[in-house]
Amino acid sequence: MIEIENLSKRFGDVQALNDLSFCAADGRVTGLIGPNGAGKTTAFRIVYGLLSPDSGGARVDGIDVASERMVAQRQLGVLPDVRGLYPRLTAREHIRYFGRLHGGEGAALEADIDDLIQRLGMTEFADRLAKGFSRGQELKVALGRALVHRPRNLILDEPTNGLDVMSSRAVRHLIADMKALGHCILISSHIMSEVSLLCDHLVIVAAGRAVASGTPDELRAQTGADDLEEVFVRVLDSSGVSAS
Amino acid sequence: MTFSWFTRVGIVFGKEVRDHSRDRRSLLLALIYPMLGPLLVAGGLFLAGKTLQGDFRQQHIEIPVIGLENAPALAAFLQDKNVRFQAAPNTQDERADAVRQGRLPVVMIVPLAAKGQDRFSVELITNLGRVDNLRVTARLSRLINAYNEKIADELAKKAGLVEGYGAPVKITQTNVAQDANIAVFFYNMMPPLVIFMIFLGGVHLAIDTTVGERERGSLEPLLLAPMERGGLLLAKALAALAFTAVTTVVNLAAFRVFMGAAVASSDRLVAPPGWEVFAQVFLISIPLMAFAVALQMALAVITKSMKEAQIYLGLLPLIPALPGMVMVFSPLNPTDLTAGIPVLGQMLLINQLVAGQAIDPLHVVIATLSTTLAAGLIFALAAKWFRREKMFVLG
Repeated sequence: MIEIENLSKRFGDVQALNDLSFCAADGRVTGLIGPNGAGKTTAFRIVYGLLSPDSGGARVDGIDVASERMVAQRQLGVLPDVRGLYPRLTAREHIRYFGRLHGGEGAALEADIDDLIQRLGMTEFADRLAKGFSRGQELKVALGRALVHRPRNLILDEPTNGLDVMSSRAVRHLIADMKALGHCILISSHIMSEVSLLCDHLVIVAAGRAVASGTPDELRAQTGADDLEEVFVRVLDSSGVSAS
Repeated sequence: MTFSWFTRVGIVFGKEVRDHSRDRRSLLLALIYPMLGPLLVAGGLFLAGKTLQGDFRQQHIEIPVIGLENAPALAAFLQDKNVRFQAAPNTQDERADAVRQGRLPVVMIVPLAAKGQDRFSVELITNLGRVDNLRVTARLSRLINAYNEKIADELAKKAGLVEGYGAPVKITQTNVAQDANIAVFFYNMMPPLVIFMIFLGGVHLAIDTTVGERERGSLEPLLLAPMERGGLLLAKALAALAFTAVTTVVNLAAFRVFMGAAVASSDRLVAPPGWEVFAQVFLISIPLMAFAVALQMALAVITKSMKEAQIYLGLLPLIPALPGMVMVFSPLNPTDLTAGIPVLGQMLLINQLVAGQAIDPLHVVIATLSTTLAAGLIFALAAKWFRREKMFVLG
C-alpha cells in the first residue's frame, strides 16, 4: 500500500505539489492522472525516495520513506518515464544487476531472471546489448528490472508510452496479473482508454493537489459525463485548471 | 536478503568495469592514448641518437666558406684536421637563409682584409637552435682556437718568449656526461606526460557514470535501488581508478619499452631508467591517481551536461602537467614543505626517480599522506554534491 499525506514541494518559484494526499491500496490499480506539470512525477519521486518533500510524507507498506528510504525502496518496483538503459549491457545483465543490488544472488536470482524473460517475452533479445533496442524492448527490460526483486508495490510512469498495440496489450496483461496477485499498482498515464481499462481508482491531480478521486464510475456520476476523457476535462474545468 | 555495504559497492564497481571494458572510448583512453606520448619521446630520442652516432671528433666536416684564399695557412690547418671546404652562397642573405633553414650547418667568411695578415677576423654564420649546427660550429670554433694557439706559440718562439705566452690559460675539458645529456633531457619529459595520462585515463568513465548516467536517464532507476549514494559514487570512482591504473601501467611500460628500443639504436645514449624505477613511479603515483579521480568525479557531478563536463575535464590534465613541463628545463628537488603539496610532491619524487637520484622515504610518506588526504576531501565534497536533488533529477 502506498499512502501520501499532505505532500508539498516547491522548486524555486514553482509550487509542484500543494498538500497532495491519496492512497493506493493493495489489489487495486490506482491511476494518477493530470495535465502536464500537474505534479505526478514529483509525487512519484517523493514516494520512491528521490526527492524530499517540503512538508507531508509518504509511506510504503507503512514504512516512512523519509526516515527509512532504503527499506521502503525494497518494497517498491518502479518504471520511470525515462527508461534509462545501459547501451553496453544485455537485457539479462540489466535485470541481473538490479536483482543483485536488491540482494538477489546465485541460482535463485538466475531462475527469477529466466522467469521474467519468459513472462515478458524477452527470450529473443535477452542476451543482446541494449543499444538499438526498440521502445517496446526497452520497456520490457525496464519492467524486468523493476520486478526482479518481487516488490509488493509497483509505480509505473506512463507504462505504455510509445508502444505498439501488441506491446501495450502485453503490459496491460502484466498489470492485470500483478493486481490479481494482490499487488498495489500506481500508474500515471495520458491515455484515457488505457486508464479506463486498467484503473480501479482514479486520482485527478492539477496544480499539485488532488482535485477529484474515486472509481471511474463514481467520477462519471459526479461529472455527468460518460466518457472518461470528458470526465477529466470537466473536473479540470471545475477546478479552474485547463487540460493541456 | 540484503548485502553488506562493501558488497553493494562491489556490485556497482563490477558493472561499471564490465560496461566500460565494452566501450571503445574508454579502451582507447586506457590502452592506446598512453602509448602516444612514449612513441613521441622515443621517436625524438631515436633521432637524437642517430645524430650523435659514431665518434664525431674523427669524422670529417664540410664547411661552406667564402674567401678561403685570403687565409691559406688557416685553410691548410683546418684541412689537416679533417675539414673539407665547399662553396657557400654568394650573398649574405642567401647564406643566412640556408643556415637558418638547416640546409647548411655553418658558413665561414674570411674577409679580403685578412690577405697576408697574421691577425684577422673570421665570421661564422650559424644557427645554435639546431643540435647538428651546434656541434659543427663548436668543432670549427675549437679548431680555429687551436690554430690561434699554434700561431701564438710560433710567434712567441720567434720573439724568444716561452711557449704558450699568447694564451696563458689553456682549458682542458673532461666531459663525463659525454653525449648522455641529450638522452636525460628526453627522460625528463616523461614525468609530465605520465601525470597528464593519470589525469586523463579515467576521465571518460568519470563523466559517463555520473553526468552521463543522468543525461541518459539511467541514474534515476539506479537510485531506486536500496543503496547509499556515497557508496554508489565510491563504486564509480573505484572503477575510474581501475581504468586510470591500467592507463598508467600501459603508459609506463610503453615509455620503458619504446625508450629502450630508441636507445638501443645508438651507442652514444645512456640507457633509460630500469623497470624497478618504473615500478616505483607507479607506486608513488597511486595517491595521485586517487586525487585525479576524486577531482574528475567532483567536476563531473557539478556540471550540467556531458558536453560541459568534457570541456572542463579535457583541460584538467594540462594543469598538473604544466609544472612538470617547467621542470624538464629546470629540475627541482623536493623539500619537506614541497613534498607536502598535493600532486607537486609526487611530481618531484617522480622526477627524482627518473633522474636516477635516491628519494627520501620521509618525502614519500609526506607526499602520500597529503595527496591522499586532499583526494579524500575532494571526494567527500563530490559525494555531498552527488546527494543533492538536482544532481539526479532530469529535467
